[in-house]
Amino acid sequence: MKKLVTLSSLLLVSAALAASPADTLVIQSAADIPTLDPGVTYDTASSSLVDNMYETLITYDGASLTKLIPALATKWTASNGGKTYTFDLRKNVKFHSGATMTCADAEYTFERNLVTNSGASGNWFIAEPLTGTQSNAADDKSVTWAKIDKSVECNNNGQLVFTLAAVDPAFLAKLAYTGMAIVEKAYSAKIGEWDGTEKTWKDWIGKDLTGSELSKKPNGTGPYKLVRYDANNYLFQAFDGYWGKKPNIKNVIRQKVPELAARQQALLRGDADIIEGGGRSVDEAQIKGKPGVTWVDDLPSTTSTAIFMNEKIGGKGNNLLGSGKLDGKGIPANFFSDVNVRRGFSYAFDYQGYIKDVQKGKGIQRTMLMPDIFPGYDPKVKTYTFDPKKATEYFKRAWGGELWKKGFVLTANYRANAVASQTAMEILKRNIESLNPKFRVNIQSKQWSEMLSDSRKGEEAMILIGWAPDYADADNFMYTFYASDGYYSPRANWKDTSVDKWLKQARSTINTAERNRLYSLVGQRAYEQAPYILVPAPVDYLFNSSRVTGAPRTKAGYNPMTSLYWKDLSKK
Amino acid sequence: MLNFTLRRLIQIPLVMLVLSVIVIGLTQLLTPEQRAAPYIRSEQQAARLEQIITERGLRDPFPVQYGRWFSNIIKGDLGYSKASNKDVVATIKERLPNTIELALLTAIPILLLAVWLGTLSALHKDKFIDQLLRVVVVLGYSLPTFVLGIVLLAVFYAYLGWLPGAGQLDIINQFSVSDLKRYTGMMTVDAALNGRWDIAWDALQHMILPAVTLLIVLSANLVKVMRNSMLEVLTSDYVRTARAKGLSSKVVNGKHARRNALLPIITLGGFLVINLLAGSVITETIFAYPGIGQWFVQAALQLDIAGVLGFTLLSALLVVVMSTAVDILYGVIDPRVRFH
Repeated sequence: MKKLVTLSSLLLVSAALAASPADTLVIQSAADIPTLDPGVTYDTASSSLVDNMYETLITYDGASLTKLIPALATKWTASNGGKTYTFDLRKNVKFHSGATMTCADAEYTFERNLVTNSGASGNWFIAEPLTGTQSNAADDKSVTWAKIDKSVECNNNGQLVFTLAAVDPAFLAKLAYTGMAIVEKAYSAKIGEWDGTEKTWKDWIGKDLTGSELSKKPNGTGPYKLVRYDANNYLFQAFDGYWGKKPNIKNVIRQKVPELAARQQALLRGDADIIEGGGRSVDEAQIKGKPGVTWVDDLPSTTSTAIFMNEKIGGKGNNLLGSGKLDGKGIPANFFSDVNVRRGFSYAFDYQGYIKDVQKGKGIQRTMLMPDIFPGYDPKVKTYTFDPKKATEYFKRAWGGELWKKGFVLTANYRANAVASQTAMEILKRNIESLNPKFRVNIQSKQWSEMLSDSRKGEEAMILIGWAPDYADADNFMYTFYASDGYYSPRANWKDTSVDKWLKQARSTINTAERNRLYSLVGQRAYEQAPYILVPAPVDYLFNSSRVTGAPRTKAGYNPMTSLYWKDLSKK
Repeated sequence: MLNFTLRRLIQIPLVMLVLSVIVIGLTQLLTPEQRAAPYIRSEQQAARLEQIITERGLRDPFPVQYGRWFSNIIKGDLGYSKASNKDVVATIKERLPNTIELALLTAIPILLLAVWLGTLSALHKDKFIDQLLRVVVVLGYSLPTFVLGIVLLAVFYAYLGWLPGAGQLDIINQFSVSDLKRYTGMMTVDAALNGRWDIAWDALQHMILPAVTLLIVLSANLVKVMRNSMLEVLTSDYVRTARAKGLSSKVVNGKHARRNALLPIITLGGFLVINLLAGSVITETIFAYPGIGQWFVQAALQLDIAGVLGFTLLSALLVVVMSTAVDILYGVIDPRVRFH
C-alpha cells in the first residue's frame, strides 16, 4: 500500500502541466471537419481549416466586405459589359507539393467545381453565372463539356478568362468564397482525382467530393500545410515556401473536444488559445472577465432570421389548418394572403422583449432581411414595433372583419431543440392570444429534416428560418427571401410584381448606386406588405486567450465573411 | 470443446449478416429526406435536398441499397464515415487500438478490485467495512459517468493541475508522433518500442482520468455481484464441510469459496470487456479520447449510417468472440461445464 501511495504521488507530481508553447496555436472545437477538399467545402468548420491551407484568386480586404483585394490573382479587368473577367495570376506561387502554380491549375479548379457541382457543395452559385444554371450536367442537359470548357480558359498570355453566361454583379464576391480556392491539377490527378480532360468528365458529374483523395491529402498554396491528422487532431505547420508574409505562429493544432466543460478548462488553464463556446449566456457567465481571457463584443452578425407567414399552405400542411375555414376552429390555406393579417402579426411580436430576454440585450432590429453591414442595406426603411393596439386594429380589418369576430386556431412549427426559435414562437403566441380570447396559436417542435422537406413543398403554415451568407452581396439575401422565384419563396408564397422586377434589375447591373436604390425599394415594399416578421439579429462576440493577438481578433479587424486567418495572429 | 469452439466461430458471419439486414432495414424506417439531412450543413444546401437523395440512391428499393452495401463489404469496403472523415475500415484501424489500450489499462484493475472488495464485504457482512462498501457501491452505481468524468477533470486537471486534460497527448508531443514507427497502434506500446518513453508516459497519464472514471462506474456492479455470490457460497454445504474438517479460514475462503464465487464474475467480466472494447462511449467523449466510442457517438448523432453499421458489426464480432471466450473460461474454472 505504501508503495502504491509513493507511485501515485510521483505520477501526479510529474504530471505538472505547462501552458501551450508560444509558437503553437491551439484551437479546440466540438465540430467535426466534414472535408478538406475546397471543391465541396460548404460549412464553417471545414472552411476554418481549408482557408488557411488554400487560397482564392481574390479576398476581402481586412474587415471590409466591399473591398476585394488580390490573393492568387494580382489584378483583374471586367469587359464585354461585365460578361468577361480577365485575371492576371501571381507568379512564383508554390503549392505545398513544391510545384509552381500555373493558369492551368486555376482553370482546372473551376472546371472541376462546375463538373462535380454536387448537392453537398456550394458550387451552384458559381455555376449560375458561368453555365447559366445552378445545376450540374446530370440534372440539366444544357450543361455540356463545351459550355464548361468555354466558361473558364487560359489565354495565350497566361491569364485566366471567365466568360459569363449573364452579367453577375456578385461574381467577384463569389470568387472570394473558400470553395473557389485553387487546387493543383497534376497533383490532384496523380492522387486519383479527376484528370481534367473531356474524356473523363462524365465520370465526375455531380460526384460528392466530401471524402475525396484531395480531402485526405490536401495541397494548397496557403500559409499553412497539413502535417498530419488523426481521430481528434489536425496539425499544421507554417509553409516555408509561402509567397506571402511569413506567419508569426509556426504550429497550429486544431483539436476536437466535444465536451464544453473540458474546452473551457483548457482555455482557462492556458492549454488552449481559442475554443468553441457554448452560446452567449454560457460564455458570459463562465468565460467573460476571467484572467487571461480577451473578450471582444458588439461584432456584426451576418445571419438573417424571419418568421414566415405562408400565403398558400398546401399539401400535408392542411393538417395544420384545423377546420381549414375561418370559423374559429382553424384557418383557411390562404389565411396569410390578407395583408392585414400579416401586419397584425408583425405588430404583435415583441422585438425589444426578444432582444432583452433571448439575446441578453445584444440584438439589433434590422429594417430588411439582410446583414446591416452589407452594401445595399438601407437603415431608413421603417420597422414594425410591438404595438398591441395597432395589431388589434389590423386584425379587426382582416378578412372583412370576420377574423376578429370568429377567431382562429393556427399551428406553427419550430425546429426541434432550437431554443431561440421556440422562445420567439412562444413570445408571438402569448401576444397574439392576449389580443383576443378567440385567437389561438399552437406551437410544436419538428425535426429539421422534416421541416426542410415540408417547408420546401410549402406545407408549413408558419416557421422560423434563418439564412447565412455565401458571399457578401445583397442578392444572396434579397433574392432568396423576397423574389417569387427565390429559394425561400415556396415557404412564404409571397409575390409582388414590382419587387420581382426590382430584384431582377439589381441582378443585371453592376452599378452599385442603382443596385442600392433598388434594394431600398424592395425593403420599403416589404415593410408595407409584411411578408415576414423580422426576428432581431444577434450581436456577435469572440473570446480567446490573451496570449493571442492580431487584427482578426479585434473589433476593427474582424470580418464575419472570412475564416480566422492564423497568419494574421501572434502569440506571446 | 474444439467442436463447440468451431461452431461458435462459424456463427460469427451468420450473426453479422442477420445484423446487417436488421440495421440497414431499420434505417429504411427513416424517409429519404431524413437520411439525406445529415449531408446538409446549411439552409443553402437544403435547396439541393432532392439532388443529394438521387446522388446517394436513397430512394432505391431496399434490396438494391442492401445489395450495394453488401457488394462493397465483399471488397472489404465498409463505406465512408462522415463522422470521422475517413473510410470505416481506416477509422476502426486507427481508433480500435486506442480503445483496446484503455480497456487493457482498466479491465484488470476493475476485476481485481471488484473481487477483492466484494470478498471483503462478504466476509465482514453487516460490519462497518461492509456498510461503507455498500454505500460506495450505491454511489458508484448511481453516479452518471458524465458527471463523474467532469468532476474528476475539474479537480485533477483544472483545479489541482496534477493530471492532463482532454485528449491523448500533450500538444508538444502531437508533432513528434508522426516520427514514431507504429507496430500495434497503441500509443504507449508503440512509443515504448520506439524508445520514446516521454510519449509513452504522456499517453499513459492522459489515460488515468478516463480509466479512473471507468473504474469507479464499472466496478460498482461487479463488487455487488461478487459480494452476493460470495455470501451464497459461504453458506453452502461444502464450505461448511471444509470448515468442519478443520481447514483454516484463509484456505476455505480463498481456495474453496472464492473460486466458486468467481463464476458470475467471469460472465459479467466478459461483458465488461465487451463494453470496454466496444468503446466506453461517454467516457471517451468527455475526455476527447480518440477511441471507437467517441466515433460512435458522432456517427449516431450525425446519422452516419456507414459509421453506425461499421461500429455495430464490430461490436457484434466482439460479443460473439467474447462469449465464446467466456464459455471456454467457464470450462477451465468449473470442470462440470466441460462434460455438458
